[in-house]
Amino acid sequence: MRRTTRLLTGSALAAAAAGLVVTPAYGDDGGDLGVSPSSVVPGGQVRVNTGACEDSGAAGDASAVGAGAFSLVPGTAEQDASGGFRVPPSAQPGTYEIVATCAEGGRRVSGDLVVTLTAPREQVHPRGSVKTGVGGALGGDPVQTAAGVSALAVAAAGGTWLLHRRARGDGI
Amino acid sequence: MRSHRGVGDAAISAVTVLALCSGAWLLSNGAGKHVPPQPSAAQGREIARGEDTDRSPAARSAAPALPPSPPDRIRIPSIRVSAPLMGLGLTKTGSLDVPPAERRNLAGWYEAGTTPGETGTAIVAGHVDNADGPAVFFRLGALKKGSTIEVDRRDGGTALFSVDAVEVYDTKAFPDEKVYGAARRPELRVITCGGGYSRTTGYQGNVVVFAHLTGSR
Repeated sequence: MRRTTRLLTGSALAAAAAGLVVTPAYGDDGGDLGVSPSSVVPGGQVRVNTGACEDSGAAGDASAVGAGAFSLVPGTAEQDASGGFRVPPSAQPGTYEIVATCAEGGRRVSGDLVVTLTAPREQVHPRGSVKTGVGGALGGDPVQTAAGVSALAVAAAGGTWLLHRRARGDGI
Repeated sequence: MRSHRGVGDAAISAVTVLALCSGAWLLSNGAGKHVPPQPSAAQGREIARGEDTDRSPAARSAAPALPPSPPDRIRIPSIRVSAPLMGLGLTKTGSLDVPPAERRNLAGWYEAGTTPGETGTAIVAGHVDNADGPAVFFRLGALKKGSTIEVDRRDGGTALFSVDAVEVYDTKAFPDEKVYGAARRPELRVITCGGGYSRTTGYQGNVVVFAHLTGSR
């Protein structure tokens, strides 16, 4: 809970900072810059695209997150201009504004990038006991058991024979 | 003639006594030898002293976590275990699956969970026995506090764990949170069957080894 709060505070601060620092030069259309994935861990790779620049490329700016400038190359046949950058491993969690300025016309577009610490994996823990035995070890060594049974059989035969002799009165 | 018979009787008596003794020894010894060892109370977690595992000296001396890397092999030198590890999932009822019983020297680890050496609770399980006799973790219950468990990782390193406790828990009152719950330091659980044995329901509990990371190489 505490971590969530801190994260939110961080995001809010970063967003506020981005809003204060970046003053739009040519009227901000905003929201036309696609950022994927929109949420990334420090050190992660981010792809950026926009359809706002018609056939021209664009100059990207990811300095808010510490990644500096990058370029968006024009796409072929009606495809978006696209480019990418890597979030520095030292980036702090928060929301950052990524901007791009079209090479022709100077239109400025932006999109948000959320940096999170290692996404807390929703782990499913196992439940209950584990079936790791069938009692096969408890029966003893079958060879040894067989030997024991045979030995007892021999003893029984010998004992019976001796008792018989005694009963017949042959004397021992 | 009479002395001949006396010698014969003496020989038969001797053989009878010898067979009786050896037969009795073979049977009693054969049955008793294969009961898996169970941990003593001295190897348990020190609940009596109210010790919080996260604040104990051992917790503070835990080694820094390693990056995630799947494990390949587990070695426990003090009970002569060295076994490859396979990935395990969950059964339909949510319990941890187990390796195929017919492979007696194969253990497994919970693949969807923490890798051994990473922060959190990594889980390893293996059979105490199979239909043919003792299996990979037959002697797990004989493990002592402070013993070393080594886990070879796919990144080429070996994570070293030190045993904190060896417990046996009844199937009917299995402490899920204690065994599987998240940990703030790199920890390891090694689980096998144990407790009493009933012919109808099998082993009545699990032996659980609690260990934490002390280093790597």
